[in-house]
Amino acid sequence: MSEGYAREASLVNEGSNGYDRMLDGTIALCVLTSATALLALVEVVPLDATGGALGGFFRTVFAAIAGGVGVVALASWANVVPVTSRRIRGVAVGLVASSVLLTAAAYALPVNLATLLGLALLTEAGVVVGAGVASRTGVVDTEPDRSAGLLAGVTFAAIGLALGSALAGSLVGFGSPVWIVGAVVVAVALFVATVLPQEDVGSTLPVALIVGTLGLVVATAAIGVGWQWNPDALSGGFTGGAVIPVFVLFGTLLSAWSAAKCRAGFGAPGREYGAFLVINLNALLMVAVMVTIVLFVASRGIAYGFHGFTIGALSALVLLAPVFAVVTEFARTPAGSSDWHTGARELFRAVPLAATGAVAALLTTVLVTGRELSYGYIYVVQVDRSEQPLETAVSVTPEPAVGALVLVVPALVLFAALFRRYGSLRNVGEWSGRIRSLQQTVPVAVAVLAVLTGVLVLGGPSPLGVPLGGTVGAVAVGAGAFGAAALAALPLAALATRNGSLAERAVDGAPLFTIGVFGGLGLLAAALFLQAPAQVAPSLGPVNVVPAVGMLAAVLSLAAAGAAAVARRRTGETIQQRLLGEETVLGLAGVAGFLALVGLHVSLTGTSFTVLGVSVTTEGTLSWPMTMQAYIPLGAEPGGIMPAVVGTVWLVIGATLFAVPLGVGAAVFLTEYAEQGGFTSTVEIATNALWSTPSIVFGLFGAAFIIPRTGGDESLLAGMLVLGFMLLPLVLITSREAIKAVPDEYRDASAALGVSRWETIRSVVLPAAMPGVITGVILGVGRIAGETAPLILVLGSTLNATESANVLQGFSFQASPPFVTNPELLQASASLPTQVWGVIAAGVSGSPQMGWATAFVLLMVVLSFYAAGITARTYFRRKLNYE
Amino acid sequence: MIQQIWVDARDSLLGSDAEDGSVLAVSASALALLATVVTFLFIPALSLPVLVAFIAVTAVGWVTHQPEIARLLTLIATVLTLLTVGFITYFLFASALPAFLEHGLGLLLIPVEEGGTRWFFWLGEVLPTGDSIWNPRGGAYSLIPSIWATVIVTLVAGAVAGPLGLFGALFIAEVASDGLREVIKPAVEILAGIPSIVYGFIGFQVLNGFIQESFLDDGASFLIAGIVVGVMALPTVVSVGEDALSSVPDSMGDGSIAMGATEWQTMKSISIPAAFSGISAAVILGLGRAIGETMAVAAIMGALSSRLAFPLFDFFDANTTLTSLVAVNYGSASESTLDVLFVAGVMLFVIVATMSIISQYIERRMKEKLRGQA
Repeated sequence: MSEGYAREASLVNEGSNGYDRMLDGTIALCVLTSATALLALVEVVPLDATGGALGGFFRTVFAAIAGGVGVVALASWANVVPVTSRRIRGVAVGLVASSVLLTAAAYALPVNLATLLGLALLTEAGVVVGAGVASRTGVVDTEPDRSAGLLAGVTFAAIGLALGSALAGSLVGFGSPVWIVGAVVVAVALFVATVLPQEDVGSTLPVALIVGTLGLVVATAAIGVGWQWNPDALSGGFTGGAVIPVFVLFGTLLSAWSAAKCRAGFGAPGREYGAFLVINLNALLMVAVMVTIVLFVASRGIAYGFHGFTIGALSALVLLAPVFAVVTEFARTPAGSSDWHTGARELFRAVPLAATGAVAALLTTVLVTGRELSYGYIYVVQVDRSEQPLETAVSVTPEPAVGALVLVVPALVLFAALFRRYGSLRNVGEWSGRIRSLQQTVPVAVAVLAVLTGVLVLGGPSPLGVPLGGTVGAVAVGAGAFGAAALAALPLAALATRNGSLAERAVDGAPLFTIGVFGGLGLLAAALFLQAPAQVAPSLGPVNVVPAVGMLAAVLSLAAAGAAAVARRRTGETIQQRLLGEETVLGLAGVAGFLALVGLHVSLTGTSFTVLGVSVTTEGTLSWPMTMQAYIPLGAEPGGIMPAVVGTVWLVIGATLFAVPLGVGAAVFLTEYAEQGGFTSTVEIATNALWSTPSIVFGLFGAAFIIPRTGGDESLLAGMLVLGFMLLPLVLITSREAIKAVPDEYRDASAALGVSRWETIRSVVLPAAMPGVITGVILGVGRIAGETAPLILVLGSTLNATESANVLQGFSFQASPPFVTNPELLQASASLPTQVWGVIAAGVSGSPQMGWATAFVLLMVVLSFYAAGITARTYFRRKLNYE
Repeated sequence: MIQQIWVDARDSLLGSDAEDGSVLAVSASALALLATVVTFLFIPALSLPVLVAFIAVTAVGWVTHQPEIARLLTLIATVLTLLTVGFITYFLFASALPAFLEHGLGLLLIPVEEGGTRWFFWLGEVLPTGDSIWNPRGGAYSLIPSIWATVIVTLVAGAVAGPLGLFGALFIAEVASDGLREVIKPAVEILAGIPSIVYGFIGFQVLNGFIQESFLDDGASFLIAGIVVGVMALPTVVSVGEDALSSVPDSMGDGSIAMGATEWQTMKSISIPAAFSGISAAVILGLGRAIGETMAVAAIMGALSSRLAFPLFDFFDANTTLTSLVAVNYGSASESTLDVLFVAGVMLFVIVATMSIISQYIERRMKEKLRGQA
């Protein structure tokens, strides 16, 4: 379609005359006044502001507009973001001009904001009717149709009906039938004025009449700031504070539409411009609503939510590592060729990397200088209906310590990401007989350790009275750890002992790289897991062997990766570069893996590990009271909502475990096995109906069906199942869509190779459909994470719970039925949404600040699921389209 | 005959090309599952061991006869999903039955005020009337005020979500450039993702104060609840409407463009009329969402008032809707009130499911028509 508009675009971009500029300015004025009206409606600026206060407001608006327009103009001038459209340029200039005008008027005229808005409406009406007359008398060259059309006529008749009834009603009262007559007369008059005359008059005169009336009413303060109308029939009424902004919004929208029509010269292009302007403004409004809600909740909740937040600089650095990987990846992706200037794109891609680097440097400075970084603030909470200021600070401490969990999670994530990135080094380099036998020995060693672990798990540390754990176990752990250290040193040994250039040595040593990293990781992990059942933690002097080896191996791998990277820079051969790139990635994966093992050791054995002043501790240096503490009754500090966070996490996990296998399985059956026809479409209709069933109905179902069968009380398990029931239809629908979207050619090709149906599904269809399924599940989980209504009925939450559900430790096994019990699952639990509801239900005794902070945390949880889902979808779609 | 049924059953369980040995594995697994479901329904305490037995049997089958067991598992997933639908329907109706039997039409009492029956669309002639319409001690449970509250809130929500949603759908489907669409579509999705309790909390904390100040109201109102619910239903209307507009074949629009029509003319005269039924399906689905919305309404309007809005169209009044009636009263309800709440649940379930089915039917018809099949 766009081809057809090339000519139109060039026509639009031809020089504009005074008439055009006037109308562009009017459109800009309309946008500006409607934005001001919106701000006045939500009381950002009071309607009765005058003089300096009002001028100050408009000055701020002017500064913002001038800044925005200025940046775009600069980019356009430098040809980075070329803006060629005369209309956009005109509106931009108009925005600046009208903000200047309004600022001047605010200072010069002795009127308040309401009157100023009324005057703006009158101006707009004047311009619009002027443009219509100019067109009708042939002063400007336009192409109006014979009539503005029935659609516009009917719309204006409807507006007239509303306006006429309001006018007549307020003049003669709603009691007499005259107001109906008045309403009808106004409606008919506007209809006639729209439909009968030529389009240029028909689409400007009625607009000017309506906008002019509204402007007059507002400007003369017939409806002023203090105006009130409290009809007997309604339990509420109307005030100027609400009515004036609504009038102004409506009037500006109407005159913007009309001005846009005039600007494009009426006729088909005029209608298009008018309609598109309205549609675009509407879309803008939707985005604005979304952003406003999120920002508003954040602004209310953030102060309480981050009360006393502290993090050690080292922990922050570790947490930053995955971010660093992501932004590096983002910066690496080619800029592509598009309408943007490529240089600007590259800059745009490098900015996140630079920002992350700057943060990392800042954290390192804190770590090195030992000076704490702290931002203190004071906020107000409501305690026992009286307001009380609280002083707190967000700080980054220079402790050279990192919590085990804070280390393990990012390290594992990084290891997984790097491992996926790593391709293969099979059949690369020199394979001597010794290397081959080493390659075969390592798995055997790992298996031996695993068998020993199994024996000790089953028989305890002293099976059959033989103290196996303390003797053989300790020796095995030590041997495994030292073996791992030796293996981790192999890549460097390969570099040191071979001949030739660095790149040649590194490539030849490829087998030792793979054996070193994977073998080392496997052996160390086996030794690590042997420690717990054997109840030993061998140490050399004060140093624990396993984490020391892990640390050493991480350093060795880092050195190997660094060497490979240096070699890669030095060599010019493409094949060597590629192989050395693989080796670098492998080395980095090794670093992440070994660090994860160090963290795992600390969290499993519960003893911290210190080397060179840097320690991996069990306690951790991240403290976020809002999410990591329970409510403290009568405490001086406000406490947090940890039970609610934990509850929501378990609810989400439980619901996902329940719904995803069922939903995906049903989708596979319905799409791959079942005959497409009546049955499948009935199921589809039923699942769609289930998906739109109100959530409270699921709650009732849970109360009637699940609770009696899970112990008779409100419980975490019931909450999980109910949310699972809610998630099920969505998983089914999206999985089915995803499986359907797999092209039939895939199945045919697989069948042609003689692959059975199930093998085809397992190895062709499901992998191809997986992105869609994953995206659907993430979005669905985001949705149920915020679900409240059913949880009120089945979860049994209380406000400000002090204990979190301890599901993992709650499992206990026994020999008699029902064999497995978990009282934690059968207890009531807290959750984020019900916590917010608890604050509401508590009425005046609830703490609004705690409510806002909880809502903020909930919103962040849900939005991160959505962000993840949307990102995954975009990523997979790009990948599919080979962008 | 019986032979045929056996063969059919075997085919649907195993597929037509199954090995003979798999019959045993599959039937053992299926029987174990059946036992699990039955024990869960009747002796829930014992269901866990039976479930473990099922898992064990299936695991053995997975090793020996993987294709057949896989097929069986997917079939089981389908059956369980269908069972969910069946159970929800059955248990809702079964729980609501006592109230139906006890009160009958008494659940729709029309109030008598100031000596006369309140006018309620001439239904006062048909339905029973009473002085007190919600009085758990006196056994009077009228859902009429809540039904009417639902109607008003839904109407206000529809007035917000309908036009804005249509424009939004037009924007995403036709007007926006690709780059802009990549921004607006996720934004609309996020709007849909904001939990209803967050909307409710904003309404409770901020909007109620706003309406007291700007609309001289003494508290919560249908108006503000309706507007909030409208914003919440907006994404549904936008995405379903956009789907409908996008399913209009490009060739239709291209033909119009080739005739020299502008994009807006094409939209107005080709796309919207062709997708009209789809757009109405979107609005119906959006209204369904609005009817089913619970937490925002419960948070904004709060407790039940046993009084029908006076006059009926007073959108500054407040009351519980069918959904928030359940949410607000469930915790403190007595046995007989609970049954009435289940009636409200049944009403919601039936109404929303019907709306969903109607909108699906309309959509399907439209797509078939556009493909030239009807």
